[in-house]
Amino acid sequence: MKSLVHGTGPKKLRPSSEVVSAARTTEKLRASEEQFRLLVNGVADYAIFMLSPTGHVVSWNTGAERIKGYSTEEILGRHFSCFYPPEDIESGKPEKELESAALNGRVEDEGWRVRKDGSKFWANVVISALRDESGDLCGFAKVSRDITDRKNAEEVKRLNVDLERRVMERTAELAAANKELEAFVYSVAHDLRAPLRHIHGFSNLLADHLGVSSDEGTKHYLESIQGSTRAMGNMVDDLLNLSRVARAELNLQVTGLSSLVDEVLKELGPEIKDRQIEWKIAALSFVECDPVLVKQVFVNLLSNAVKFTRTRHHAIIEVNQAEIDGQSVTFVRDNGVGFSMKYSDKLFGVFQRLHRQEDFEGTGVGLATVQRIVQKHGGRIWADAELNIGATFYFTLATQAPAAITVEGGAS
Amino acid sequence: MNTDEVEILLVEDSPNDVELTLHALRKENLSNNIHVVRDGEEALDFLFCRGTYDHRTQERPPKLVILDLKLPKITGLEVLRAMKNDIQTRAIPVTILTSSKEDRDLVESYKLGVNSYIQKPVDFNQFRETVKQLGLYWLVVNLSPPAGAFAKKQQGQPG
Repeated sequence: MKSLVHGTGPKKLRPSSEVVSAARTTEKLRASEEQFRLLVNGVADYAIFMLSPTGHVVSWNTGAERIKGYSTEEILGRHFSCFYPPEDIESGKPEKELESAALNGRVEDEGWRVRKDGSKFWANVVISALRDESGDLCGFAKVSRDITDRKNAEEVKRLNVDLERRVMERTAELAAANKELEAFVYSVAHDLRAPLRHIHGFSNLLADHLGVSSDEGTKHYLESIQGSTRAMGNMVDDLLNLSRVARAELNLQVTGLSSLVDEVLKELGPEIKDRQIEWKIAALSFVECDPVLVKQVFVNLLSNAVKFTRTRHHAIIEVNQAEIDGQSVTFVRDNGVGFSMKYSDKLFGVFQRLHRQEDFEGTGVGLATVQRIVQKHGGRIWADAELNIGATFYFTLATQAPAAITVEGGAS
Repeated sequence: MNTDEVEILLVEDSPNDVELTLHALRKENLSNNIHVVRDGEEALDFLFCRGTYDHRTQERPPKLVILDLKLPKITGLEVLRAMKNDIQTRAIPVTILTSSKEDRDLVESYKLGVNSYIQKPVDFNQFRETVKQLGLYWLVVNLSPPAGAFAKKQQGQPG
C-alpha cells in the first residue's frame, strides 16, 4: 500500500535468475498496482484520494474531480480542509477527523462539504489511516460519496411525515372547533330563544292585563318591547338557519329552476296580493343542485325584490338566465330602490344592511345565507345596482366546474 | 285534581313556559285537566304510576303528553324512548314542544316515534295559536283508544 500512496514503482534490477524471478514478482506487483490505480482512477461515483500524514492531497481520482470540481493539477499538494465548510474549518473538524482516524484506524462521517465553486453537497466520508510495515503512519485514504439526493429524499420524507402530523393536528383542532361551534349553535337554538319568548309572552299578557286602562305611553312602550323581541327572535332564527345551511350536506338532484321559482311565487302570494308587480319570468334551465337550498336562494332574492320595489307604483321583477363567459348565469332584476355600488362589498356580510330598519325591515342575514348556498354549489353570486334605479343579483351553480378543471389540467 | 283524570301531561321545566302554556290553554278552556311535571324523571313516574304517583292507574292514560326536550335529570328524548318502548305507554300521543328545530332533534324525535313536533314560536300570539290548535286537535278531534286497552291486566283477576 505504501508504494501505492507515493506512486513510485519498483526500482529496476539486474537480470540474474534470482533477480529475474524477483523482477517478475515485482513486475506482477507493479502491473497489479497499475491495474488497481486505473480501477480507482476510473471510479466516477466515489471520490477516492490519498492524503499525506499532514492532510495534504497526494492522489486524486475521476470521481473526486467530478464530485468536488478540482482537477488533479489544482488539488495535489493542497490541504484537504478546503473541502469543508468554513464553520467546520473554524471548529477544527478536518484535523480532528484525521486524529480520530489515526487513533482508531478509521473514521466515518456524514455532513456538508464544499465544492470548488463554493456549492455544498451532503457527503458520506470514510477516512482510513495508512501505516507501513513498521506501523508508522504514512497517510490517509479518503473515500467520499455525494449523497445529497438521498439526503434530500430523506428530508422530503421527513417533511412529509411532519406535514402529515401537522395536518392531523389541524384536523383535530378543526374537529374540536366544529364540535364547539355545534354545541354553541345547539345552545342558541334551545336556550337563547326561550327568554325572548318569555319577554314577548309576558309583555303581551301585561298589555292584556292593563287592557283599556293603559295610556298611549304604556302601549307604545309595550309595543316597542314586543317589536324588539320579535326582531331579535328573527335574527336568532335567521342565524340558526345560516348555520344549518352551512352545515347541510348537499342533496343533489336534477332540478328545473322554473319549478322552484313557481313554488316561491306561490308562497309569496299573501305578500304580493295587494301589489302591482309585473313579473317577467323566463323559462329556466334544469341544473343539478340541492332543490331545498336553491329554493331558499329564490325565496331570498325574490322577497328582496318584492320588498325593495315596495315604493314603486309599477314594480317590475325579472327572472332570467344569460350566458356570461361561457357560464350559465341566473339573475333576478328589479326596478326598486337599489343601492350604491360603493357598499356592494358589504352586501353579503352577516348583519350588514344597506337600508334603514324603518324603511325596509330585515335581519341582514338573508344574502349571507344565499351566498353560502351558492358557494356550497361551487358557484358565485354578485350584484349590480344603481341607487333609485334597481338591482340585479346574478348567481351561478357551477356543477360543471369540476369537468372544466379536468380539461385545464389535461392541457397543461 | 284527581291525577287519574289528567288529559294533558305537560312536561316542562321552565316556570315561565309553564305559565305561558297554561295561559294559552286556559284561554281555550283546555286547561281543566292538565298536570305539570318539571323533569323527565317525574314524567316517567307519572306515566308508569310509580314513586309519588304509585296510586295512579294506567287504565286511563293522558290523552296527550306535551314534552319539552331539554329537561333536568332525564331528557325529553329519553322520556319519549321509554314511552314508545313500553306497550302500556306507546299509544299515548306525544307532542314535542320545544325551542329548537335543529335537524338532529327532529330526526331523533321521529326515529323514536314522536306523534308531532312543534317549535315554540318567539311571537306569543303565534304561540297561543299553536297551543290552541294542538289542544283542540288531540283532545277534541283525535280519537283516543278505549280506556284500559293498553293497561297491564292484573294477575289472577277473574274475567
